[in-house]
Amino acid sequence: MNTKEKLKQILIADLNLEELAPEDINDNAPLFGEGLGLDSLDAVELVVIIQKHFGIEIKDMEEGRDAFKSVEALAAYIDRRLAAA
Amino acid sequence: MTYSPVAITGMGCICAAGNNLGDSMASLFSGTRAPVPPVSFTSNHPINYPVFEVHNFTVPADLLRTSALGLHAAREALDDAGLDRELLSTLRVGVCVGTTVGCAISNEMFCREYRSVSVPGMGPLERILRSNPAAVIAREFDFSGPCQTIVNACSSGTDAVGLAASWIRSGACDVALAGGADELGRITYIGFISLLITDESPCKPFDVNRKGLNLGEAGAMLVLESERVRTMRKKKARSFVLGYGSACDAYHLTAPKPDGAGLKNALAEAFACSNTDPAAIAFVNAHGTGTPDNDRVETMVLAEVLPGVPFLSTKGYTGHTLGAAGAIEAIFTAACLELGKIPANIGFSTPDPELGGNPVTENTPFSGTIALSESLAFGGNNSVIILGKGEV
Amino acid sequence: MQIAIQGVGVVGGFGTGVAEMRKALLSGSSNRSIIQLSNCGDPLEIPAFRTDTSRLTEFVPLKALRRIDNFSKLGLLGAYLALEDAGVLAEGKQERLGVVIASGYGASGITFSFLDSFINDGDICASPTYFANSVHNSAAAYISIMLGATGPSSTVSQFHQSVPSALQTARLWLSEGRVDRVLFGAVEELSELIGYAWCRQRGTTDSREISPLLTGTESAVPGEGAAFLLLSRKEESQKGYCFLDQVITGRHLKPGFIASPQDLLVLGADGRREKGADYAVLAENATVACFTSLYGSMPISPAFDLAIAALMLKEGKTFASPFSGICDFPATVAAGGKALESQRVSCLSLSDDDGFGLVTLSKG
Repeated sequence: MNTKEKLKQILIADLNLEELAPEDINDNAPLFGEGLGLDSLDAVELVVIIQKHFGIEIKDMEEGRDAFKSVEALAAYIDRRLAAA
Repeated sequence: MTYSPVAITGMGCICAAGNNLGDSMASLFSGTRAPVPPVSFTSNHPINYPVFEVHNFTVPADLLRTSALGLHAAREALDDAGLDRELLSTLRVGVCVGTTVGCAISNEMFCREYRSVSVPGMGPLERILRSNPAAVIAREFDFSGPCQTIVNACSSGTDAVGLAASWIRSGACDVALAGGADELGRITYIGFISLLITDESPCKPFDVNRKGLNLGEAGAMLVLESERVRTMRKKKARSFVLGYGSACDAYHLTAPKPDGAGLKNALAEAFACSNTDPAAIAFVNAHGTGTPDNDRVETMVLAEVLPGVPFLSTKGYTGHTLGAAGAIEAIFTAACLELGKIPANIGFSTPDPELGGNPVTENTPFSGTIALSESLAFGGNNSVIILGKGEV
Repeated sequence: MQIAIQGVGVVGGFGTGVAEMRKALLSGSSNRSIIQLSNCGDPLEIPAFRTDTSRLTEFVPLKALRRIDNFSKLGLLGAYLALEDAGVLAEGKQERLGVVIASGYGASGITFSFLDSFINDGDICASPTYFANSVHNSAAAYISIMLGATGPSSTVSQFHQSVPSALQTARLWLSEGRVDRVLFGAVEELSELIGYAWCRQRGTTDSREISPLLTGTESAVPGEGAAFLLLSRKEESQKGYCFLDQVITGRHLKPGFIASPQDLLVLGADGRREKGADYAVLAENATVACFTSLYGSMPISPAFDLAIAALMLKEGKTFASPFSGICDFPATVAAGGKALESQRVSCLSLSDDDGFGLVTLSKG
């Protein structure tokens, strides 16, 4: 399973997006506001989720801002960090 | 309806700035603070965040630290008011305490044992059940008036003082001990870190480089007294509760409403019920946690409602003491009214052009007789208390 | 000032809503089930009155509930049921509504989950969502958000004294004119932690019948649920249930203090042996009723007694106390279906440290 698919499953399970299936999440749709409809509390939860499932630490929201734009962007960020590790 | 003023005849507090009110005020005006990584507990989080712990304080084995902090402050406040046990036994006395962790059924040692040991020790839970912060004070002094523990997150302390003033006005009791208490522990420490609103360095309320809050711990209690009892014992007021207002954002569990509507509603209620002209406010003791969101919303509202009024946050000296914050800040506000000066907002150096104003940067004298203290909380609560200068 | 009870919203072991509570009162039976605990991997079962919050989706879309824990769901359901019962749900935003919540233990389930999150995966993996939900006022916050209630909001937590204490605040807000209505609600969640603490203190006996008026007998069964009342000032009230005459709290209640003998006295006795004798002394020679065996023992059970008392006053007659056990002290247990002579009902609850709450409701 590639990072994007894994990420979608994790988001649905850990953010309780029960009404969604992985294929419902558009790779490029915004995670916050419109799109997936996540908010500031989900953003900090996402930091923990990335730490827990991928072992990647995001120190603050400045660092996460670009990565949190979409599933596509986040998956790319995770792959980049894992490759650098 | 217009409220009649309620006298404050005694005050007591314990926090990182000092183990009593006098020492705490001395720290504030000397501009000293010493937040350091936690001493009473450890964390395996890679970053050590500075906190404001109370030192040289002994907690009885059967009580939560939170309740012991509240009790300590209550004793100081009663001494300050000159109310001894004999006199108190003849009065109907109420107790109103705000807290966040003081009633949480939450203990890490128990939780770990529950998962790993077949018969976990029940001591930690039993201690919680014995330690409701308001009940502990009522039990200690055998008070029989109204007794309430308020858990409105970070506005609890302000709400407790506001409610106790209503008790006095409505005749529910002759004297009320009102305030807040919260201890600092691993659970809150880790929780606030997880929300990414904790500063790795000493907090910088209203500064452009503010990164968040530092946690603290405190107990802070005020004695509110009816005119009847005060006249009987010819007791002068140290300050007066003139007004109180509170309103909910009804917006988000942790984020303040960006337009500050709830805070404006709370301010409007406090002004209306005390018949106070906003122009009469000498200074504002702001919530000023040092988080980007809080300080933005708060200064925006202050610029609109109280333009040009000097303001400061005392959290740079005490840390954010959560349920005790509103109470200790009410006490500092009253003490500043007595002194006619406010301390510098420690931690602030570089203005943030996005904020509605800047706090005072040095100890500043003022000539007014009315001041305001405000609290914003998780859950969207906004609470405001207006205090007037006393008679001594 | 007299306060009017305009609506009642309840969810408990007996079911959801006033109609199901009424049915349980008439039949005298409620749904006891078993909760499963896992202490150190060892399964443990205790009898309890559980609740079902599934009706909440009638009021709130599932998506909006995605990170709301069981404690806040109980609160939300109670809140919506009370507003629906009062017929004010369609009014839209409730800008002059105050919210007052009472809870003995707060959101203990999600608090436990928060601890698990960092105990299992390290401090850096603590869940901020669990932490935010674990604050005591989370139910009040969700209720205000969902209802657009921008008035004052307060949550009170002091174990068995929570309900009468919080009710005093609701009353005060109305008499001071701070708000036009108060949504008063009591919420308790029987989490694994509370369930375990219960059975360590009282054992796991599963077949016992609750005998609240047998003073020397331990027969309590834990419960959970929510009981909400929509309150307004009397002069602004539409036809509702009844009026809240007085709320007295304090310590060291004396027997002679309780109202006139023709009033019905609803006792909060719930089979916890340590409180039995105190209720017996205070209720001596009174006409009493006791309904705790319909919803179980929990710190906020006095709120269910208020809901039942309000329903009795609305209908003008008594409900039979739903237990077959006898009363072993000199008092008259009221029969069901009889006219309420004085049109007044008092509800008595006792708490730790000799605390008490005495709430009097009336028809007039």
